[in-house]
Amino acid sequence: MNVYARLVYRNLRANLDRITVFFELIFPLFFIFIQGYGLGGIIPPFEVGGVTLSYPLFLAAGAVTLTVINSGTNAGTQLWFDRKNGMFEQILMGPFTRAQYILSIILATLILGLASSSLVFLIALPVLGASLSVTTSGAILVAIAIFLGTMFFGTFAIAISVALRSSETFQIVSTFAFFIFLFVSTVFYPANLAPAAIRAASLLNPLTYTTDIFRAGLFDAITPTIVLELGVLSVEAVAMFVVAVLAFRRIRV
Amino acid sequence: MKSDIAISVSDLEKRFDQKTAVDRISFETRSGEVFGFLGPNGAGKTTTIKMLTTLLRPSSGKATVLGLNVVSEGRKIRERIGVVQQQDSFDQGLRTETSMDIYGFVWGVPKEVRKRRIDDLIQRFGMQEFRKTPCADLSSGQRRRLQVAREFVHDMDLLFLDEPTVGLDAIVRRNVLDFFKERVKGGLTIFFTTHILEEAEYLCDRIAVINHGRIIQVDSPQNLKRRFGSTKAVEFSLLEGTSAALEEKVRALEGVSKLAQEQSGSYRATTSKPEAVIPGIYRAAEGLRLTISSIYIAEATLEDAFISLVTDEETRK
Repeated sequence: MNVYARLVYRNLRANLDRITVFFELIFPLFFIFIQGYGLGGIIPPFEVGGVTLSYPLFLAAGAVTLTVINSGTNAGTQLWFDRKNGMFEQILMGPFTRAQYILSIILATLILGLASSSLVFLIALPVLGASLSVTTSGAILVAIAIFLGTMFFGTFAIAISVALRSSETFQIVSTFAFFIFLFVSTVFYPANLAPAAIRAASLLNPLTYTTDIFRAGLFDAITPTIVLELGVLSVEAVAMFVVAVLAFRRIRV
Repeated sequence: MKSDIAISVSDLEKRFDQKTAVDRISFETRSGEVFGFLGPNGAGKTTTIKMLTTLLRPSSGKATVLGLNVVSEGRKIRERIGVVQQQDSFDQGLRTETSMDIYGFVWGVPKEVRKRRIDDLIQRFGMQEFRKTPCADLSSGQRRRLQVAREFVHDMDLLFLDEPTVGLDAIVRRNVLDFFKERVKGGLTIFFTTHILEEAEYLCDRIAVINHGRIIQVDSPQNLKRRFGSTKAVEFSLLEGTSAALEEKVRALEGVSKLAQEQSGSYRATTSKPEAVIPGIYRAAEGLRLTISSIYIAEATLEDAFISLVTDEETRK
């Protein structure tokens, strides 16, 4: 079997805590069903990309993209556990290269991101299903959004996992960073209606583009700016990938 | 043709910023032997292993493992070696047996072979009672057993053991050492570091003593004892058990560098002149109206030779 397949299988089996994965799935569902319906009664429907959406629908699409952040945290955790438990060096003393090891973590993260977002999507269908009109191009956009978003947040978590020396610090820093990513994005509200400072900050945030592209694909709300958003997200994902690989190469054994 | 040299090291050096951890060491190990690497803490043993296992890049010098260059042919080397690290290494989310299986899977060992080997190893290392226990719940000794056993799930020509028996009780330790011996008879070569000198004496064909990153001596355990075990000891027991007054008098004897009480209750006086010290011990005991029940000159141990070598090196520095 291919070396990547073997390493990815190991990463998924050895470093993923089932309870953590379970709660990572519950988290977006909580937003969809509790916050979505809770606030839906006081927030009137509004227009996104030429399509009018109710707040529960708007939030449901955003909440599915939350899974990319959760998957990203898992990438950092996988690397952290391996370093803490001595398996990082053990694997590198086996017939594998550093590049294969780090790519296997990213691949495992992508698989997890795609699988968990699909699962959340399926569970959220009662909400989303009301006005879904996914075209082929829309489905491709949805897949690209999840792929690039998971790539960015996975490699971001790897980079901070390399930089930080204790698991406690990693947990606090990653939670805080992801909290900022989450609330300065278009997951919970349309940024174009937010104050200028938040709007400007959200334009730097890859989660904004992940969510916008995902929504555009899901509700067939494709606007001319989507190509630009795809370009920005791709550049950010590739840049973070390079940063993570460079950081990873500097890990001292 | 299979090379007779398993590891060849020439002027190998590793510097970390201003500190030299390994200082131009040179040695060779033969295929099919157990080569011991002894040294005090921080001597450079683990750094050497990390360079030979291609985890660390040497600052200068040359090293080949199984005829392959550690810098340019790392992947090929790693395909043919096994490593038991000094630090723990385990998959905390897996159970003992599953972690062995996944480790073998990662190495590309076929399923049927993995199953057979894991069953054998679990039996051989006495791991039946915790084969289903999550790795995170294992004691340090059980985890160490798993770590050693796991390495034998895959094939290898050369095994690096960095303090592999830390945390094991005496019976398990002997069992593990005997297992290593069996594998060596089967053609495996072992590079072995330990701080337990009895282990080195029991297992190693040849030993390199390293201190401050430099190799001081390379020889067989027997030769090291013969050549450097000049410091001997006089072991004696009292019919009365112990006596603080006698201890004081023996410590004051000329030529006695150290007096220690063994677990058995007998005394061990370290000296370079045991023949001269024995009459002194008798006289001191008589003066205190104590009876010596046994007294003899203890043979030099590898520990004596090791201490002598390292302290001589410190004195020269």
